[in-house]
Amino acid sequence: MISRRRTLFFLGLAGAAGCSRGNRLRLNVFNWSNYVGEKTLPAFEAETGIQVRYAIYESNEEMLARVMTGNSGWDLVFPSNYFIGPMREMALLAPLDHSRLKHLENLDKIFQKPEWDPDLRWSMPYMWGSSGILFNTHSGPAPQKWAELWTTRFQGRMTMLDDPAEVFGAALKKLGRSLNSSSDEDLRSALQEALHQKPLLRAYLNAEVRDQIVAGDVAACQIWATTAQQAIDAAPHLRYVYPAEGYALYADCAALLRESSRADLAHQFLDYLLRADVAAGIVTYSRTATANAAARARIPSAISGLNTLYPDAETLARGEWFAPLASQAQRMRDRLWTELKSA
Amino acid sequence: MKRLRLLFLLPTAGILLLLFAVPLCILLVYACMTRGAYGGTMPPFTGENWLRVLDPLYLGIVGRSFLVAGVSTLICVILGFPLALFISRSGTRKNLYLSLVMLPFWTSFLVRTYAWMFLLRDTGLINTTLQAMGVIHEPLPLLYNWWAVILGLVYGYLPFMVLPLFSTLERLDPSLLEAAADLGARPSQGMLRVMLPLSAPGIRAGAILVFIPCLGAYLTPDLLGGGRTILIGTLIQNQFSNSRDWPFGSAISLALMALVMLLLWIQVRRKGEPLL
Repeated sequence: MISRRRTLFFLGLAGAAGCSRGNRLRLNVFNWSNYVGEKTLPAFEAETGIQVRYAIYESNEEMLARVMTGNSGWDLVFPSNYFIGPMREMALLAPLDHSRLKHLENLDKIFQKPEWDPDLRWSMPYMWGSSGILFNTHSGPAPQKWAELWTTRFQGRMTMLDDPAEVFGAALKKLGRSLNSSSDEDLRSALQEALHQKPLLRAYLNAEVRDQIVAGDVAACQIWATTAQQAIDAAPHLRYVYPAEGYALYADCAALLRESSRADLAHQFLDYLLRADVAAGIVTYSRTATANAAARARIPSAISGLNTLYPDAETLARGEWFAPLASQAQRMRDRLWTELKSA
Repeated sequence: MKRLRLLFLLPTAGILLLLFAVPLCILLVYACMTRGAYGGTMPPFTGENWLRVLDPLYLGIVGRSFLVAGVSTLICVILGFPLALFISRSGTRKNLYLSLVMLPFWTSFLVRTYAWMFLLRDTGLINTTLQAMGVIHEPLPLLYNWWAVILGLVYGYLPFMVLPLFSTLERLDPSLLEAAADLGARPSQGMLRVMLPLSAPGIRAGAILVFIPCLGAYLTPDLLGGGRTILIGTLIQNQFSNSRDWPFGSAISLALMALVMLLLWIQVRRKGEPLL
């Protein structure tokens, strides 16, 4: 008797699920973690009746590996700026229709004509950030330059990111070169710099460094601004510095996949994300830097004024956007990275 | 009857074929192709990836991985033997002790590795306790070095040593040791010349079960080593993520697999006994 009732119950459920699937419109969105607020998606679903299937990824490579086949089932993805060009060359992206993005003007001036996609034909800037130095103010005056992470001041109590582009990028900046330099000579000098620095380091850590600098194990580290802000929220005596020699910038942008057959819904969703109230809700929740100037004007100044997330214009001018590396240089850099780790 | 037996084997055989043989063949094809600029593989077919495996830089990493796995296995034998012996002699409590050995498997390995980080770091439990007791004044650098990696590996794989050793020692006839004593052997001699040789199959099985996962370990060296060093697991993982060099990653994994299989085969040939 019980089992029969249970069968009926499940049949009922299956029927309901079948109905909703048949009648409701669906959109598939693949994004980084912590990039929408709690209410962002439910509110959109309630407003439009479009059901959003939402999943998260942790790296550009992971996302690319999934969509590379051209029949991944996703409609919208959020590659970093230096992945837009390559994905376009691989014919993975569809152009955006600006006539359907009414709120595009909400974007900050610097994201209206970005160097990686000047007409915003393939991408819509969404969130952005930098990598700089986070340090403990109890340990003395602020380090102003990358070069100070090459001295014995923080010996054994500092970390660098576990990422070849970041470590060699900082070394190249220290040497006064572009962080996107692809010449053999520059990359080799970057390796030499990194090899000099390695004995001074405690470890190469990404997000894990947050807890350690909060606890006091680490006194200074190379870190992403978003992670740095989380650390500062937990420990106000930490401070984030944009190094004088220059530093790396990235922007994660929404892009429509060519395989998508739901371009209409996708544009509707993108325009929703562009709305000032929606974007403001998202960054109030996630505490990341939005590319949306109208949203930034709406959020509490305690967030929009955070220097860690939003450098002033003069500081911003020192930053350099990551660019895609040519295949040969990429291979060279990976080999040098293995050499650094093996040393 | 025979047909029925085959029928029952079918699901297992199907799963093995689908989840083991097919991916292995895909790896083999990948390993002979050219790297796509942004991941994936492209024609033409090439043997270049295999030659790259022989680069001294990568051979050095392989060598280091063997060393770390070897040291971890040795420590597992030294720690596991007395424990397995103790459990095999503890009568009715045997099952309790065996469940305790298995207990760590109830939680995720990742979580347990993080727990080690909390114990070992500068402001971790060990350092703060020692400092509070006045034993040390500066925190000891316990985390992010070779010993932390080996500690993590030994911790993670010790049960795989204890379980096969236990089953060998449990079957060992105690009267053999008594006979040795009757014939004038001191306890230490009985141990070394009777018990140890008889438990060799268990040690060997345990060593294989510990050594192979240690060799390919990726999580522990990364989390407890702090990325200051690179072992083969991380090298392979890098090829499929950051470096986007799938063909080379496939070639290293297959080369490692072939090397391990060769060593096992030599072992079988030499001993003329089954492996596990």
